[in-house]
Amino acid sequence: MASIGQAPSLKRRDPPAGREGDQLIITPLGAGNEVGRSCVYMSFKGKTVLFDCGIHPAYSGMAALPYFDEIDPSTIDVLLITHFHLDHAASLPYFLEKTTFKGRVFMTHATKAIYKLLLSDYVKVSKVSVEDMLYDEQDIFRSMDKIEVIDFHQTVEVNGIRFWCYTAGHVLGAAMFMVDIAGVRVLYTGDYSREEDRHLRAAEIPQFSPDICIIESTYGVQLHQPRHIREKRFTDVIHSTISQGGRVLIPAYALGRAQELLLILDEFWSNHPELHNIPIYYASPLAKKCMAVYQTYINSMNERIRSQFATANPFDFKHISPLKSIENFNDVGPSVVMASPGGLQSGLSRQLFDMWCSDKKNACVIPGYVVEGTLAKTIINEPKEVTLMNGLTAPLNMQVHYISFSAHADFAQTSAFLDEVMPPNIVLVHGQENEMGRLKQKLVTQFADRNTKILTPKNCQSVEMYFNSEKMAKTIGRLAEKTPEVGETVSGLLVKKGFTYQIMAPEDLHVFSQLSTANINQRITIPYTGAFGVISHRLKQIYESVESSVDEESSIPMLRVHDRVTVKHESDKHISVHWTSDPISDMVSDSVVALVLNISREIPKFVVETEAVKTEEESARVEKIIHALLVSLFGDVKFGEDGKLVINVDGNVAHLDKQSGDVESENEGLKERVRTAFRRIRSAVKPIPLSAS
Amino acid sequence: MGTSVQVTPLCGVYNENPLSYLISIDGFNFLVDCGWNDHFDPSLLQPLSRVASTIDAVLLSHPDTLHLGALPYAMKQLGLSAPVYATEPVFRLGLLTMYDHYLSRKQVSEFDLFTLDDIDSTFQNVTRLTYSQNHHFSGKGEGIVISPHVAGHLLGGTIWKISKDGEDVIYAVDFNHRKEKHLNGTVLESFVRPAVLITDAYNALNNQLPTKQRERGFIDAIKKTVEAGGNVLIPVDTAGRVLELVLILEESPLNCPIYFLTYVASSTIDYVKSFLEWMSDNIAKSFEHTRDNAFLLKHVSLLINKSDLDNAPAGPKVVLASMASLEGGFAHDIFVEWATDTKNLILFTERGQFATLARMLQADPPPKAVKVTMSKRIPLVGEELLAYEEEQNRIKKEEAMKASIIKEEELKVVHASDNVGDPMVIDASNTQTSQEAVSHGGRYRDVLIDGFVPPPNCAAPMFPFYENASEWDDFGEVINPDDYVIKDDDMDQGALPFVSNMDGKLDEGPASLILDMKPSKVVSTELTVQVKCSLIYMDFEGRADSRAIKSILAHVAPLKLVLVRGSAEATEHLKQHCLKNVCPQVYAPQIEETIDVTSDLCAYKVQLSEKLMSNVLFKKLGDHEIAWIDAEVGETENGMLSLLPLSTSAPPHKSVLVGDLKLADFKQFLSSKGVQVEFAGGALRCGEYVTLRKAGDASQKGGLSGTQQIVLEGPLCEDYYKIRDYLYSQFYLL
Repeated sequence: MASIGQAPSLKRRDPPAGREGDQLIITPLGAGNEVGRSCVYMSFKGKTVLFDCGIHPAYSGMAALPYFDEIDPSTIDVLLITHFHLDHAASLPYFLEKTTFKGRVFMTHATKAIYKLLLSDYVKVSKVSVEDMLYDEQDIFRSMDKIEVIDFHQTVEVNGIRFWCYTAGHVLGAAMFMVDIAGVRVLYTGDYSREEDRHLRAAEIPQFSPDICIIESTYGVQLHQPRHIREKRFTDVIHSTISQGGRVLIPAYALGRAQELLLILDEFWSNHPELHNIPIYYASPLAKKCMAVYQTYINSMNERIRSQFATANPFDFKHISPLKSIENFNDVGPSVVMASPGGLQSGLSRQLFDMWCSDKKNACVIPGYVVEGTLAKTIINEPKEVTLMNGLTAPLNMQVHYISFSAHADFAQTSAFLDEVMPPNIVLVHGQENEMGRLKQKLVTQFADRNTKILTPKNCQSVEMYFNSEKMAKTIGRLAEKTPEVGETVSGLLVKKGFTYQIMAPEDLHVFSQLSTANINQRITIPYTGAFGVISHRLKQIYESVESSVDEESSIPMLRVHDRVTVKHESDKHISVHWTSDPISDMVSDSVVALVLNISREIPKFVVETEAVKTEEESARVEKIIHALLVSLFGDVKFGEDGKLVINVDGNVAHLDKQSGDVESENEGLKERVRTAFRRIRSAVKPIPLSAS
Repeated sequence: MGTSVQVTPLCGVYNENPLSYLISIDGFNFLVDCGWNDHFDPSLLQPLSRVASTIDAVLLSHPDTLHLGALPYAMKQLGLSAPVYATEPVFRLGLLTMYDHYLSRKQVSEFDLFTLDDIDSTFQNVTRLTYSQNHHFSGKGEGIVISPHVAGHLLGGTIWKISKDGEDVIYAVDFNHRKEKHLNGTVLESFVRPAVLITDAYNALNNQLPTKQRERGFIDAIKKTVEAGGNVLIPVDTAGRVLELVLILEESPLNCPIYFLTYVASSTIDYVKSFLEWMSDNIAKSFEHTRDNAFLLKHVSLLINKSDLDNAPAGPKVVLASMASLEGGFAHDIFVEWATDTKNLILFTERGQFATLARMLQADPPPKAVKVTMSKRIPLVGEELLAYEEEQNRIKKEEAMKASIIKEEELKVVHASDNVGDPMVIDASNTQTSQEAVSHGGRYRDVLIDGFVPPPNCAAPMFPFYENASEWDDFGEVINPDDYVIKDDDMDQGALPFVSNMDGKLDEGPASLILDMKPSKVVSTELTVQVKCSLIYMDFEGRADSRAIKSILAHVAPLKLVLVRGSAEATEHLKQHCLKNVCPQVYAPQIEETIDVTSDLCAYKVQLSEKLMSNVLFKKLGDHEIAWIDAEVGETENGMLSLLPLSTSAPPHKSVLVGDLKLADFKQFLSSKGVQVEFAGGALRCGEYVTLRKAGDASQKGGLSGTQQIVLEGPLCEDYYKIRDYLYSQFYLL
């Protein structure tokens, strides 16, 4: 069913043929076999969803973007952002402002509030040349107007795509999105953690099992130590370093996990009065700004924080002071500094690292996942020397500890999560190639008996799956008064809205939808000075059913042609034609108008009404014509008994009943030909059967 | 075939009593709203008490007493035990409202209908949902989905949508279509043609001025009074409409002190600050951009104690105080103080509940004097205190007596059981020894009580010996891995003290009041208050007005409409209006009258076969795509009906013109095509001779005739056919 293959370029928008309507395509544009620049493209039944829009922290400029060239941004209906981290949200301003994208963007309230803070900071901090700048602050500001918010569990429908989100537990406001297109559900976890920590809830288990689960695999098959052990290691390292007079550097992203670490540090300091003279700095220009956000969205956090909030704001730290820049930092004696960025690429954390790295009393605690290609990743392997920002090399003497608080799921969580959710298809993204491969192997073993497909597409590699969705319709209203038996026919309007179908009688259309039906009554007046009888006579020559009567209200003579068109003799000067629009009536009325105009031209005309004779004459004439035409076709045509025609062609005899059109013959071929011929002759002689009425 | 739907009003029909209705969907009983008035009159709950035990779920729509006031009482006294569903703000603000009411009541009377604990335990049952969240029921209510939607009116205010099998029952009371400072307007209009709509007729006869004009009038009235040196009292609810008023005042240019005084004022605002997601787009936007929380109040001070107000600097001030009915709370006390001064102003922002002081004062002309009861809780002194203490002592003593009796009885039991297996007896000759033990025990009971009584189940007089038999297998001793797991320390140890109270956020003042075990009593005095101050009523109720209600109802166009709450007059008026303009089935049931609004819709499901669908050509019309199908009914393997293409050619059918022609739009369209058009006598004159008009009343959307009748008239000319072609282009022909 599922296959991996180089996509024949997703830009091509051929009309879906055959099964293609049922084809679901998932293509990672980033984060396929890598960590960073999360961006996953999904398309099903002509609807397109893009999950996340990040940058790769290890690259800069255009190189950091996901492979947007692979897709046509203008075809995307919905873009869903899971959380505010740069590798999930930072290419959004570019995508919104610099591409042809015109769909709708959704993220949670907290994510939106922090997104702006974080990206403005990112633009300021990243020291790249002007041409490498992907966007500026103005772009971020403009993008804010286009971003719509969604609350957890709120169901939103756009263009027939229904989606809602669950708590993901990774950072404040982090969400997992469930997308439902025509009954096929796809869960995109983003970064998630099933472990409740100091301020966040654990990721929820969705109520419904998805058909496809796109899941992160950052930690692959690794297992986290229990949280309290990590916390103890963390506090022990800090405690021992500062008690030996050293300095502790904690490089961390400004927002997200940093808040968790600050909660731990603040609590540790509160419990250890002897440490109170050692300062803790939280060096981030965002520190103060983000506090308001954290204070506001307590409803997205766990019960513990919410109950603490009742007495005092837990984010009002007692032992932690903000630090604006390195100029304000008075480096005397032991201290603990938490500084961004987390990867030590540049900025304050790098400046402090350069200052402190050669002293073996100092320590650097790396508290989260570090992306390949950053200095932080390099120093985890404890090289002898490092390159400083000014290009010199210096010995790396400081202790480096890697204690992860990054709130990504480990193998135990991933396998338990998938076990609960039970998706038949799993797509792994957001993981290093090797980690992902190992995870795949282990999951394959684990779900061997379930026939679960596990896929690990690379960037721009498409995964195709087929879902045969049954189309169900609900027949309602008058049409449904009786449930039909097999073999009966159903005729009515099929109304499609989103992916739901309803069948109803036209009269019920306004009852069950906002649509309404209309009747157009037309009335046209034609100048006519001749006798009304002439019109009547001429009409009867053309149409089989022409009834004369007198209008009840105005007592003027009128004619009804096949119960569709009414001709009224309004006065000596003009007549009027009335009818209700419909293709056949329009045609009949046109012929009436043409007829009247012709008569006017040929005046004067008198007519002797010989009705009975006329019909007889008429039918005799018709019969003659039919006979003549049949003779010209088949040659030997005789009048048989009881009014039937006997046709003899090379010894094959056929009997034709002129009234019903039934043909009897030994020879099937002849029978069929005679019948067809007769039908055609009849439609030529009496062109408008008008049986439709 | 359809889902059975029954509606039974329990309170609040043909009058302005609180709201409480029973909606039964296929036997699953929803209680929507559970309101009470400010008098807490138990007789109103009679109908509820009869059905309380059969209720399967409770849905709350707004956080005020009219919508949820009776919940604690019903849970405690009436046997209501169903799970409750509400949005987070309704839950939180509802809780605070109940606290405020309880404390206001307790202050002036021996209020015993429910206690704070009852309120807490009631609200513990609440499941919180977000807007547009679909909650699926399981078990008895299998297949039922409920979802809350924005109602406007109050923060977190909810329109409930209850769906089963694609049929929607919508409960929408007290909605507000207007966008306000802190709230978005209702989304009621986004629902189209629900099977049943339940709504109120409360405002069916009222019309409002535009918001701006009302706000200006409000500020002007206050300004005038303040500038003349008078005080302004605005009686408000605890946590509902007051939020809007607080924002209006916060943004106003008034320079006198403004106070917001309820027992829970500060926690109300604290919580409200964290409900930005539930508020208007403007508030959310300003927070996202500048992180300015609109409820970070600079001009309005929050008070939880009347003494704080008394201590405030003298001079004109504006006070928002609960309760809006003036039946109790701070507003009542302040009214009594201020009513006698002509300079002062009492500004009502909502209509008072029936038979309350506020309602009396809103009468026209207002009464010259009103009788009020001033009650106060005062600590007992002197003889009363002595009497109380004596009483308490007596009670204590009695309890002690009881306790000792119980203890003795227990002891007796203990000894009785001792007899059976006396620890001292190991051999079989027990009859004699046990008798000995009884007399023994009786005599030395006091000694034995001092800790020498062996536990009754003790088997033998020896120190316990446990054989430490360890199991071995091929790898050595069998261990239990759990023994070696390091226990996950509770991370809360040493952290901030955990507040056991579910809410934990009672303000200091009332907290001291509750915990105050000081003996006290309520003293009441009857006073007659001369009402000399000015009284003004301005509508800040935040409900859609008559015109808006009618246009929204016409737009929603439910198949069946049920009207509740509203004066008999208003209900009758709206009923007549809706019968004519909305739908032919309008109900206005009496209390405890069960009406069946099961839809008479016939429906069956069919599968659309792939073969059929590949030949269907849809035409797109707004959100909809439509097509005409002729199909033959077949059957799939699993017995479903399915539609297959016809084997013979399709029978002709009457053609259908689909579309909704608006003359005004069509006029623009024609003039864009270069045809001269103008309206003349209700008809559209196109060109020189051709006229186009609509026959009949086409505005009756849900009405009896759903088909537009359009008449096109004219003499035979080229224009006629041109205009006809344009007209046809506005429709889809099927």
